[in-house]
Amino acid sequence: MKLILRFLPILAVWPLLFLLSAPAPAQVPETVCIQCHGAQSGRLGEPVRLWKGSIHAANGISCHGCHGGDPADMAMAMSPERGFLGKPAEEAIPGFCGRCHVGVKEDYLTSAHGRALGRGGPQCVTCHGSHAVRMATPDLINNRDCTRCHDYGRANEIKSAVSETDRRITELEQSLAAMHRIGIATREMSGELFALRNRFHRLFHSVDVEKVRSRTAAFQSELGTIRGRVDAIEEELKRRKLWGGAVVALLVIWGILAWLLHRSYMDDKKAG
Amino acid sequence: MGLGKKMADFIDARLGIRDILEQNLTKYLLPRNINAWYTLGAVLLTLFTVQIATGILLLIYYNPNTDEAFRSVQRIMNEVPFGWLIRTIHAVGSNIIVLALLLHMLSVLFMGSYKRPRELTWVAGFLLLLLSLGMCLTGYLLPWSQLSFWATTVATNSSQELPMIGDAAVRFLRGGAMVGQPTLGRFFALHVMGFPLLFGMLVLFHLFCVRRVGISRPPFGHDWQAPPPSTTFRHEEHPGGIPFFPHYVAKDAAIIAFFLALLLGVVFFAPGLFFPPAAFEPADPFVTPPGIKPEWYFLWAYQTLKLLPSEFLGLAVQGVAVTLLLLLPFLDRSPERRPSRRPLFVSAYVLGVALFVALSVWGHYS
Amino acid sequence: MEVSSRRKFLVLSLSTLGALVAGVAAYPLFRYLSPQPTGGEKGRVNIPRAQVGAGQAHFFQFRGHPAVVLQSAPGVFAAFSAICTHLGCIIRWLPENGEFLCPCHAGRFAGDGKVLGGPPPKPLQAIPVALSGDNLLVG
Repeated sequence: MKLILRFLPILAVWPLLFLLSAPAPAQVPETVCIQCHGAQSGRLGEPVRLWKGSIHAANGISCHGCHGGDPADMAMAMSPERGFLGKPAEEAIPGFCGRCHVGVKEDYLTSAHGRALGRGGPQCVTCHGSHAVRMATPDLINNRDCTRCHDYGRANEIKSAVSETDRRITELEQSLAAMHRIGIATREMSGELFALRNRFHRLFHSVDVEKVRSRTAAFQSELGTIRGRVDAIEEELKRRKLWGGAVVALLVIWGILAWLLHRSYMDDKKAG
Repeated sequence: MGLGKKMADFIDARLGIRDILEQNLTKYLLPRNINAWYTLGAVLLTLFTVQIATGILLLIYYNPNTDEAFRSVQRIMNEVPFGWLIRTIHAVGSNIIVLALLLHMLSVLFMGSYKRPRELTWVAGFLLLLLSLGMCLTGYLLPWSQLSFWATTVATNSSQELPMIGDAAVRFLRGGAMVGQPTLGRFFALHVMGFPLLFGMLVLFHLFCVRRVGISRPPFGHDWQAPPPSTTFRHEEHPGGIPFFPHYVAKDAAIIAFFLALLLGVVFFAPGLFFPPAAFEPADPFVTPPGIKPEWYFLWAYQTLKLLPSEFLGLAVQGVAVTLLLLLPFLDRSPERRPSRRPLFVSAYVLGVALFVALSVWGHYS
Repeated sequence: MEVSSRRKFLVLSLSTLGALVAGVAAYPLFRYLSPQPTGGEKGRVNIPRAQVGAGQAHFFQFRGHPAVVLQSAPGVFAAFSAICTHLGCIIRWLPENGEFLCPCHAGRFAGDGKVLGGPPPKPLQAIPVALSGDNLLVG
């Protein structure tokens, strides 16, 4: 008996060990770029801090994704042999970003902005910033930023031409996110919407009001197709709630009746 | 009518079924002042039956392979007709079960029903609680989502703090250095076969104890008296009590219906309540999702680990707490069961519940 | 007497409602276990051969998803899902390079669907294609 009592605590602790959660989740090893620059202060460390809040960081695009080099070899990390690029010259910036953002680059280069590249025209970083790149919204077109170079009139026209479509895109993104939260497979629709958003965003890099206006109808109709599918799913979710509500109500009524039956037996018992 | 009676007669003549039923239903008398808390056992039996039924159904479409697991669950949720319903009932059901288990344990504690001669009933019940938590944990991994992967990584990682054997223990639990196919394989086997079998046997033992010793009389009312100490077996009788059937079964049925309504209420109106966003992203061993937290019933342990200076100390404190509860009937041996006469126990009880709630809330918001 | 009739009513309503709940529960169970349509032959698409010139690609809808059929060499046809395996954008055919390009993040695929460069994690999903007279039978 004593022996059993002595062993019981060990038996009791063992399953518990499974159950616990430690406070700090395991970390993915950092690249040498971040190890070194992250520890530096001032100009050389700043990009790491800016990047950490960026959409690139959120999507797992790290330093070497744009700057090249070898993120696993401290000695050779910044060697041109390993494809290190460093900081691009101003004229090279559209090409630098455009390695991934091909569509936007194409429309930008043919635009008034792109044709003025190297002659005081804006490039990617002028509006989007460099390391703290955030998800692009029409708010990037605003009085303060555009009037750094020219008056706001035409820019505002573009903004009003895109904002309705952009609002519908954002709305759909939110609907899809809400559905994803309860386990609906939204990956494919999110992909389509992402592609559409991409094509739409490259479109207004042409900074051509007429072009934006003429293509808007096509985008709206595509959005309508996705919206239709989302609406159908939301309709289905509503139907589920209706049926579910009925079953829950039935169960509650059933429970109350069973309780009354119990009471009636108990009254009998008291009387008898 | 005639055929049914004939069949009943046939079976009764051979197995004496009517006598067994009578002894366990209409002639099985329960204490007159029995209350609604005593229905939680029946509620739990029902909820576990639901888990087994939905679990078997999920097995039809689930695929325990790291390449396929997430997709198979996605398929259940989106393509298989009513798969979403079966899966959500199973996942939400586990949470409702933990809630019912805690209430069952707390009511037994408050009424002192764990005391002699019911020590074995208590120990079996407490082991059932631990086994249920084990089933929750192993079930968590199966959808192979980001949540599954990282919750399991973190949970298995904590045994690293065991002196000497830490690393070996982690490797043993995972079946490898990292959470992967070997982990999924062993967790799957435990979740669908190992734990349920053990669980079923323990439930039988638990029920046997309850029936054999007799239902404990709630320690309320003026005429309550501690039973005289006895060194030999004695079934606790309740002469003049209420019959189990139909009187108490109707009450059981009512509370069961309310619990099922609660379960389905969450399933239909708050299906995301127990699912953090990471539950719907496929597992990615290279990206730790931000701010992952354990399930609500492990938050107290999570917060304890964060508060104490060393992880080993945290594990030790939790181990001691769990061991104390498991062995409580052997430590708290006075026959007194009336809460009003047990001020020390009741204060510790209230403090313990408050601490559990406070740590959980703190852990949730920290 | 009054108690007994009240009890009869309660038992009757409990059984009726219980049967109702059981019925409502049985339907999802039946549907869950019922065999599901597989699609199979139904989803085939016919495309006139003339629409796909040598070295050219033709985009079309296949079972609700965008797809592309390609004549990579004279008489050699291949069909793929046109959804980039990276983030789901629709790929484009660049006849001058003889490869597919995804305009979103510059993923590149060869004429046989293999990844040539960029972020896509796996090749394009192939769809069987067969020649039947002057038509291409996809699916």
